[in-house]
Amino acid sequence: MAAGFASTSSHVGRSLLRCLSNNLSSVLGTSHGIACCNLLSQQQRTFIQMRTVLKVVDNSGAKKVMCIQALKGKKGARLGDTIVASVKEAHPNGKVKKGKVVYGVVVRAAMQRGRCDGSEVKFDDNAVVLVDKQGQPIGTRVFGPVPHELRKKKHVKILTLAGHIA
Amino acid sequence: MASKLLPQALIVTPRNPHQCPQKNMSFATRVSGLPSSFKSGARTSVSRVSSFSIGLNLNPMFSVAPKRVFFVRAESNPEAEGETNAEVEVNENVEEKEEVDVEESTQVETEVQSEEAKPPRKPRIKLGDIMGILNTRAVEASEKERPVPDLRTGDIVEIKLEVPENRRRLSVYKGIIISRQNAGIHTTIRIRRIIAGVGVEIVFPIYSPNIKEIKVLKHRKVRRARLYYLRDKLPRLSTFK
Repeated sequence: MAAGFASTSSHVGRSLLRCLSNNLSSVLGTSHGIACCNLLSQQQRTFIQMRTVLKVVDNSGAKKVMCIQALKGKKGARLGDTIVASVKEAHPNGKVKKGKVVYGVVVRAAMQRGRCDGSEVKFDDNAVVLVDKQGQPIGTRVFGPVPHELRKKKHVKILTLAGHIA
Repeated sequence: MASKLLPQALIVTPRNPHQCPQKNMSFATRVSGLPSSFKSGARTSVSRVSSFSIGLNLNPMFSVAPKRVFFVRAESNPEAEGETNAEVEVNENVEEKEEVDVEESTQVETEVQSEEAKPPRKPRIKLGDIMGILNTRAVEASEKERPVPDLRTGDIVEIKLEVPENRRRLSVYKGIIISRQNAGIHTTIRIRRIIAGVGVEIVFPIYSPNIKEIKVLKHRKVRRARLYYLRDKLPRLSTFK
């Protein structure tokens, strides 16, 4: 509740940033400008949508993928959702090549995800694990922490491969 | 026993009819109007009536000449109604068989109201205070189950959490508190830690029943209430073994 309020206030702050940045140097004094910058420096994290570049954290061969479609959700994908992505960067000899269209499961998202007990979890980066159409991961290892929201979404195989469950 | 404690209809008859002024007649008519409402059968009105009639215990003997005096006759009610209200009223009735002088009808009314056992006046709860009161109650109830230590920004804590999905063991979360938001029962703390090379921030409501234990391990001196600058700093500063 309070966290939500803080996020909306920073959201307002980001839109203010655009109009204020023009006026900042000319109209406002320097001290007020610094105070405004502190308020607006918090980023408002949102969904994973088209053109979002994500890190790949398994050993399928890809390094970076760009989301081209979030399969569920009008606004975009969140933690635990599946996306359709295009491989932008890949290891030289891997199971997937550059330019291939693949499915992926978002395992880390910078946008906070609320849990049923009132807690929220957020990571520092956006990461994805490549899967096939049936939902089975292509790679054999998963690096980094994964949240246990995946258990509810029936991605049990990824949880078993993971090194650390957040 | 209910048979003893019956609500009694008190009938007032003027003692000296030729001395009754206008006021008393109206009073008498009002009183005589009461038994009719009594017969109508509503329970609450019955008790009201009997309590109103109590104050009319008057002394026929000690009549000072100019005073108007009423003679009260208690008549037991054939209908047996054993309510606690009626019991209280009848007890008062039984106690006050002593004769009381009455000068004016208005004095009788004030006597009647004071005899209704008014509790001391409680302070009014205003609309704006309700959420605060509910929150303090909920916090007290949660504190009774599990006391929460004093948590401040900059503490390095370890939290043991019971997760409904992971029913086997308690999940352990360690990290530094980077902010604390006070909101009554939903007071939350934000814990940051670097896990396996990736920074993770988790918001915990500290009064949640899922949290089994909060332990403060260390404290780091910070000069801020919200340590969001740690997100941009080296991962080394957010790592805790």
